Amino acid sequence: MALLALIALLTLAANGARQLRFASVAFLAVALTATAIASASSTRMQLAVEAVAALCAAGLLFVAARDGSYGEEPGWRLWGATIVAAAATPAAFASFRTATAEATQVPLFGADPGGVTVQVAAFWLISSGIAILLTARSAVRMSVGALLMITGVQLLVRLATGPQLAPTLLFSWLEVLIALVGAFLVINERVVREA
Amino acid sequence: MNALVAVALLGTAALVSFPLRKRLRIAGAISCVAILAATLLLAFSPADATAQALELTFRVTPLGRLASLVLLATLLLLVLDVWFGEPAYNFFPTALGVGASTVGLLSLTSPLAIYAVLLLALLLPVGSFVFQVQRNRSVEAALRHFAFVALGGCLGIASLALAATLPKDQPATTFVLLLVVLVVAFALKLAAIPFHTHAALLVGEAPVAALALYFGVLVPATFLAFAQILTVSGLLPQVVQVQRIQDLLFGIGIVSAIGGSLLALGAADLRRLVVYSVIANLGAAVVGLSTLSGPGIVGGIAIAIVTGACATQQLLAAGALERGALPDETASAARAPLAAAAFIGGGAGMIGLPPLVGFPGHFFVELIAYAYSAAAGTALVLAALLLLVAQLRAGMTLFAAPVDTWQIEPRPVAGIIGGLIFAALLLGGILPDAFLRPIATFADEFIRALRPLT
Repeated sequence: MALLALIALLTLAANGARQLRFASVAFLAVALTATAIASASSTRMQLAVEAVAALCAAGLLFVAARDGSYGEEPGWRLWGATIVAAAATPAAFASFRTATAEATQVPLFGADPGGVTVQVAAFWLISSGIAILLTARSAVRMSVGALLMITGVQLLVRLATGPQLAPTLLFSWLEVLIALVGAFLVINERVVREA
Repeated sequence: MNALVAVALLGTAALVSFPLRKRLRIAGAISCVAILAATLLLAFSPADATAQALELTFRVTPLGRLASLVLLATLLLLVLDVWFGEPAYNFFPTALGVGASTVGLLSLTSPLAIYAVLLLALLLPVGSFVFQVQRNRSVEAALRHFAFVALGGCLGIASLALAATLPKDQPATTFVLLLVVLVVAFALKLAAIPFHTHAALLVGEAPVAALALYFGVLVPATFLAFAQILTVSGLLPQVVQVQRIQDLLFGIGIVSAIGGSLLALGAADLRRLVVYSVIANLGAAVVGLSTLSGPGIVGGIAIAIVTGACATQQLLAAGALERGALPDETASAARAPLAAAAFIGGGAGMIGLPPLVGFPGHFFVELIAYAYSAAAGTALVLAALLLLVAQLRAGMTLFAAPVDTWQIEPRPVAGIIGGLIFAALLLGGILPDAFLRPIATFADEFIRALRPLT
């Protein structure tokens, strides 16, 4: 439960960041927290692959920013995205609750065998990502929104039965590719703005 | 096994050609050799051969092989056009990456993996959409494409992952919600109306070769992935039980078919005409799929594959006509008659005129749409007529100049490529069995998946 609160705060930090570099660091913290949330149902290899992918993705955005000042002012979008995510997460959890159908105790600290934390964190990240993506004006916030969404998707995929190694690798690649494309667009957008 | 080798070959070639992408001859030659080798590997792959890698199963189905061959051949023609006709930014590694992803998604059997690879494939062309950024809005267009793909892709994968974890005794509304999200996610990626705004911006701003890569290869691959995901995900019995999902698919298809045709009729330039024609045809293909019947599925998939080839032919021709036109002059056959002829040939294939191979697909879908409802059948025929008028109007404008003013273009690459595609469409029309049989095999699988216990 404590990790859920942490991921919510870190998402807020990534969402509210004015500078891309700050947003990329906040995203890294979000991704690492998501990895920690999913640690009960993952092998060490999976956790390592996901952590490295998150590091690469955050690093790509950090480098694309080129300096500490470049970014996008979120303004009212921060609160818009937060309110949407706060409303959508419980609605999605109530509609698609697959972790367990029974009422479960979720401890403040420690493992959550029912998978409730994983699912709530996934819905929070996906709905935050959607809200950020839909209200973004530039590549900076679009990249952050897309990365938050794919992090949430990775958590949901973890709950699915079947092979785990291939999805972990595929979705980690996808995360890096999203960051790479986002960084490419950030650089090109900056060229246009500075022309 | 051959599919795995083909994916590895194309992926490796993409990585090798990336640092060499500005050396047209070397990168072009590497791309051609890799695509040809992958095509041969798939052509000689045994039917239904399977292989395992990283816990994933690859299976070359008859439809997977047919679609891979058609899409790889299209990629090869695009590479030749960029090599000998109009150089395009970052094109060769992008085309090879798209080729690897397309073969991968057509041979994978896990729905989540298919979707993830599709998302990879759709993100790759962003690198070739962006060009001359200080003179146009290509960055904005690429950005919007990125947002649509990321949004649609993540929503679709999330809905599939949730569906895979749902216990069997869920209320129908849960499946309705998940399937609605899945359908909307695919509609976003297929640029179906009303989710076509990113495509409309791309048309005006992206280079022609990149547009052809997207609408000629990736959009048909997306449609095929949708059909394949529905088949292997185990969601089809729910689609049958909940009529509303079928109605949603049907509605999106009809709106896209009619809307795309109307937009094509009012298109201000050749590129827009082609892209709106693709949207209209994919709408008809979605209608075919949504009927959940053998002829509808065969027709829908046939339309999607043929539309990709025709879109490539027409977009390359439109690019050659644009380049040949003088400033402040509209595209005309006088400056590039071979490209203009290729454009007309592509238009005939796009509409589904007999004896080209596009005809059976359109015929099946329109016939089954009538069986579904008279209004739907009439709407599809109306859409086809509107498209016919739009293509005819464009053709008449192109050939308005007198014949004695015509000058054969010095490098008729688009014209030659158009001729090759037209010959393939004609050959397919003369021997439709070779084209339709693999699709019919898939339609059988699809229908079996509808009622797994019968």
